[in-house]
Amino acid sequence: MRNTLVKVGLSTAAAVLLMSSSAYAQATANASLNVTVNVAARARLTLGAAAITFADQDPGTVPTLTATALTVDVGARTSPAGNVALTVLATGPLASGGNTIAINNLAWTSTGTGFAATGTSNATTAQSVGTWTGPGSRAGSQTYTLPNSWTYAVGTYTTTLNYTLSVP
Amino acid sequence: MSADTRVQSLALLVAAALLGLASSAAAQSRTATLNVTINGFVRLTLSSSGVSFPDSNPDLVPQVPGTPGPLAITVKGRTAADANLRLSVLASDDLRSGVRTILASNITWTATGDGFVAGTLNPTTAQPVGSWIGAGARSGSQSLLFRNLWTHPPGTYTLTMTYTLSSP
Repeated sequence: MRNTLVKVGLSTAAAVLLMSSSAYAQATANASLNVTVNVAARARLTLGAAAITFADQDPGTVPTLTATALTVDVGARTSPAGNVALTVLATGPLASGGNTIAINNLAWTSTGTGFAATGTSNATTAQSVGTWTGPGSRAGSQTYTLPNSWTYAVGTYTTTLNYTLSVP
Repeated sequence: MSADTRVQSLALLVAAALLGLASSAAAQSRTATLNVTINGFVRLTLSSSGVSFPDSNPDLVPQVPGTPGPLAITVKGRTAADANLRLSVLASDDLRSGVRTILASNITWTATGDGFVAGTLNPTTAQPVGSWIGAGARSGSQSLLFRNLWTHPPGTYTLTMTYTLSSP
């Protein structure tokens, strides 16, 4: 009986020694999380102002009227090869009652990557303001000019310019 | 066997047992050690098996929170008192939608709970989510965010995040 007890004691001690080396062996657990991101096609067009104004000037000293630069921000989510186009179309000539100034007198220069460097307003055919390829956000500015002619009849002339951003 | 006979036989057996114990106790001393082996063990529980990021306007929601909301994480570890318990996460790849990709690093997270840390997802190097010392159960949460840019092409992107809890 004593031998048996001793053997059991030794066996237990050996087991404890063996187990103690593995008691804190590396343990790991894993878990997975599936992630889904939805990205839809989008277009954003933001003009820095809702109106531009040319202040009256003496044609003899200021032959060209220049408006404050108009900031233009374009955002497009499209395919990497998608063609993004921004155009502008005037609703008609600059008009003041029965007097008009031909819309092609209203021209612009631009800054910003992808923006057309120069352009001339048109009331029948949309004019390109800028083109880009692929998704992204682009910023630029347009500065409108108008010849300050002695031939203009006195008045306050207005027109509306409609900008269209196309994103496929 | 009469009742008296039964009593006598029992008395003899008890006496013999006492004599045997007395002679053992007098002759030798033995110590019996009771060992309880507690193996290292870790458990990791996530409150959800998936998270999705809905399409959103990048101008209005530059960081899209994942749905269904913060991910509850429960970490349980039976380790040595001074052992480190580490929880990390690894992305299976960048976000993919067919051939289109969005860098996995556009997914970030904030965290609540002792030992939990904020981070940025990576497809090549497991990123720490939390670490602790010693055995115990810890709970925290991870709020996943998707960086919403105009430059992301449209699509439904997926990846898998694998969380690994380990103790040395």
